[in-house]
Amino acid sequence: MYTDLEILLVEDNEGDVEMTRRALRTAKPQCRLTVANNGDQAIKLLQDVSVQPPHLILLDINMPRMDGKAFLSAIKQDETFRAIPVVMFTSSESPNDIRECYERYASGYVVKPFDGVQYANTVREVVHFWGEVSQLPS
Amino acid sequence: MTGRTEYAPAASETPPKILIVDDRPENLMATSALLRPLGAAILTAESGSDALMLVLKHSFAIVLLDVQMPVMDGFETARLMKTRPDMENVPIIFVTAISKEDHFATRAAEIGAVDYIFKPINPDILKSKVKVYLDLYRQREQILKLNATLRQSNEELERFAYVCSHDMQEPVRMMNTYAGFLEQDAAAVLDDNSQRYVTYIRDNAVRMQKMIRDILTFSRVGREEVRTEKVDCNQVLAETLREFEDVIALKHAAIYAGPLPMLQTSPTLVRILFQNLIGNALKFQKGAVPPEISISAQASGSMWRFEVKDNGIGIDPAFSDRVFTIFQRLHRAEEYPGTGIGLSTCKKFLRLVGGDITFTSHPGEGTTFVFTLPAR
Repeated sequence: MYTDLEILLVEDNEGDVEMTRRALRTAKPQCRLTVANNGDQAIKLLQDVSVQPPHLILLDINMPRMDGKAFLSAIKQDETFRAIPVVMFTSSESPNDIRECYERYASGYVVKPFDGVQYANTVREVVHFWGEVSQLPS
Repeated sequence: MTGRTEYAPAASETPPKILIVDDRPENLMATSALLRPLGAAILTAESGSDALMLVLKHSFAIVLLDVQMPVMDGFETARLMKTRPDMENVPIIFVTAISKEDHFATRAAEIGAVDYIFKPINPDILKSKVKVYLDLYRQREQILKLNATLRQSNEELERFAYVCSHDMQEPVRMMNTYAGFLEQDAAAVLDDNSQRYVTYIRDNAVRMQKMIRDILTFSRVGREEVRTEKVDCNQVLAETLREFEDVIALKHAAIYAGPLPMLQTSPTLVRILFQNLIGNALKFQKGAVPPEISISAQASGSMWRFEVKDNGIGIDPAFSDRVFTIFQRLHRAEEYPGTGIGLSTCKKFLRLVGGDITFTSHPGEGTTFVFTLPAR
């Protein structure tokens, strides 16, 4: 088991941030959740060498300034970060959004469940699979 | 022609333009003077090639063309004019001294002339003919302008519906989730009334979420490209029935499905159709009578004709024209829940791919929805 699992959540909605924290707090205490409110902030965080790079990025699409798709394109073109799995976590069920994110090499596309309990379960499963099961050996 | 509404041009609008072509300056002057009271701008040319130059620079409502001209005659000038796409709908009136010979009429018609005036010109006839074409031109322009305005406001409305519903998903999800957290976390401290209020919030958030999803689906039809593939309708039906299996079991519904075709079509469309029609057939059950629903299809010419027949409450003929109208609900939400969007989405989508949907119904006996899909 990982003693610390670094997760970067790129999300502008405070309500979603709180829900994600709540989902991980007791079930995955080994997780350290860092939050960026948009793509620009996330890129600054990644470029800060004093901070450990995340094992997993959870990425919203609709955000002010740099949105999720632009951020995804940016880090998938970056030698240092392209191997980090990025799972889209969004309200949008638009076929165009889904296709565009996979074309930009998203590892997964998850629609935020409407129900709070299902939301928490989904967050835990995504973190379990992409953060723990399928990590590349370092 | 009395009593017709006259088009009143706004002060800022440019008047329609008339082109008069004649190799004799005195004819040009006379005709111009005659037509000036009609309120159009008059341009003149003394040869076919001058006329063609003007056609390149201006767009005309009418062209009056002398047939007998040196170098390039009226026929040749007209033929060349008609090669320009923007001249295609412009009426050309030939002004000619040659008599009513057959080959003249045939040739003029081939070129696309709409009318002739014979010399010597009768001023009243010329004036009233030109006036008719000017009126037609003005009405056509007005309709084109109206159409453009309508199309634009339609597009804006669709975009509004899409953006609205898309952006409303987040807040309504938050309301539902946090009301849920209150139910979980604060159950001990909330009194009965407060707990009931929290339930109202959740129930209504769920209802609003359904509406938003349905509006989004509706506004995506036509916005997004229709992707077609080989669709086994039997398989889509089986999947749809699986989604409804709880309701089917609860209501002891009997489903009869005939063999359905394999079609090159949009799988999303077929799914939306079955979801809505079977969902409705299950929903509008007649009292405690178990629903009986039969789904069948048969080839009919270049189309496939599908039928979804139920034994439900039926639809009152008085409401028949409202069934496919968006947001039209024929029942209170407490009686039969729904958003009033499903069938209008079906119709919009079917029309987009060249199909259609209708129904027949006997109140108290049941309803049969019939939709057609291109066979291809």
